[in-house]
Amino acid sequence: MPEHTVTAFDAELKEIGRKVVEMGGQAERLVVDAVNALIRRDTELAQRVVLLDAAVDALQREIEEKAILVIAKRQPVAIDLRELVAAIRIASDLERVGDLAKNVGKRVVAIEGEYHPQKLVRGVEHMSDLVLEQLKEVLDAYAAKDPVRAVEVWRRDSGIDSMYTSLFRELLTYMMEDPRNISVCTHLLFCAKNIERIGDHATNIAETVHYMVSGETLAEQRPKADASSETSIAFPGRLQG
Amino acid sequence: MTSAVDPTFNIASSVAAKPDAVQAPTKVKVEGLNFYYGQNHALKNINFEIPEKRVTAMIGPSGCGKSTLLRVFNRMYDLYPGQRAEGQVLFDGVNIVGKELDPTIVRTRIGMVFQKPTPFPMSIYDNIAFGVRLHENLSKSKMDERVESCLRKAAIWDEAKDRLHTSALGLSGGQQQRLCIARTIAVQPEVILLDEPTSALDPISTSKIEDLIDELKQDFTIVIVTHNMQQAARCADITAFFYLGELVEVAPSDVIFTNPRQIKTRDYITGRFG
Repeated sequence: MPEHTVTAFDAELKEIGRKVVEMGGQAERLVVDAVNALIRRDTELAQRVVLLDAAVDALQREIEEKAILVIAKRQPVAIDLRELVAAIRIASDLERVGDLAKNVGKRVVAIEGEYHPQKLVRGVEHMSDLVLEQLKEVLDAYAAKDPVRAVEVWRRDSGIDSMYTSLFRELLTYMMEDPRNISVCTHLLFCAKNIERIGDHATNIAETVHYMVSGETLAEQRPKADASSETSIAFPGRLQG
Repeated sequence: MTSAVDPTFNIASSVAAKPDAVQAPTKVKVEGLNFYYGQNHALKNINFEIPEKRVTAMIGPSGCGKSTLLRVFNRMYDLYPGQRAEGQVLFDGVNIVGKELDPTIVRTRIGMVFQKPTPFPMSIYDNIAFGVRLHENLSKSKMDERVESCLRKAAIWDEAKDRLHTSALGLSGGQQQRLCIARTIAVQPEVILLDEPTSALDPISTSKIEDLIDELKQDFTIVIVTHNMQQAARCADITAFFYLGELVEVAPSDVIFTNPRQIKTRDYITGRFG
């Protein structure tokens, strides 16, 4: 695309784009750290996640302010306007991603020292890998302005949803097996939900990237597979000691 | 009447979808229009339709042909030797570029307002009454009514009512431009052509004219040439982008300013013209 006649306009748009990518990197880092803290029961790392979320929030404010200023100064239209709207929207999704990572971090601190067999976190770990892959892909799609990759991310979210549903069943089963698991499993269930929500934000970002590049909103209904709200497991006849 | 649309003509199909902005009968239909200033081919095979009682904006860099097209609608080129139009401009189905049609008849039905306010050096009242007297024989009271209603429609009545018989040259630029609009609508045209009507005005006068355009489209078909892209985005239902004598894209303004189909349009409206 040719440059703007006003070169400062280009510089401002690029700067905002860079900030969004930077914020994406930070949010991604927070999720990685939060999940690692959960798996390794590393409360120190978890506390750092809780603290560092503030930096992501600050970046969101900065992006929003810069974008609003450019809108006021330049009255952008077409692709320029869509890029700025996308920056604001993506920043707000990433801010939520940061919050959700922080939430996971807080729960790691909460379950410190509790009875905590490693097999319980396996499923969460597996789902996190998938979500992180989605987040990374969608941020790359944003940086490359690639709507095709964005749509691929968008379609893949149903995989995370079904994984969350099966994790939900699994954790319920552990709770039934041994009541000592209930506290940890409940926290893990919330962690899983938080991570699943991060996946949803990745799909929001995918929709935004698609809109930013093509000017059109994704019209079709996204495939959804989170059936946890309809899932129940029959209690086995008797508790095992 | 033959329809001679060039099948190779490449325009975004968005107008074909006819969203709300275009849900109106065609008032002016331009078909295969070419225009020459002597040897200079200023308009190249223009085809498009202007919907009735809507605002159509024509945008494009200087020399792209948008003002030329406006002048064709008004038969202004008749005044200059060596300028000629080929093709058709159908106004309610009648070709107005044909030699057989008297340009003064065209101009009573298609009025024009220019970039710089051009009040006649006479009283405010006579500025309005002058054109009316050429075409109609109204009694004093009927004429008073006409003058008042035009000044009201042009949103200048309150400022002018106590000084109707003083010189129009004493008005401010913005007031003069609204007086010119009042004068244009006094002869009860169907189409109003506005050639950069606010480029010489301050922001408040500009807002008043834009507000007026919004009002006037209830009664008139409006075509506006503007260099101010935001103005086109604000006022126009349809926007047409011209470049080097060609019509590049015509679409509802909502589409043109958020998601233009043609790269040239995008580069122009986003300020990337190199």
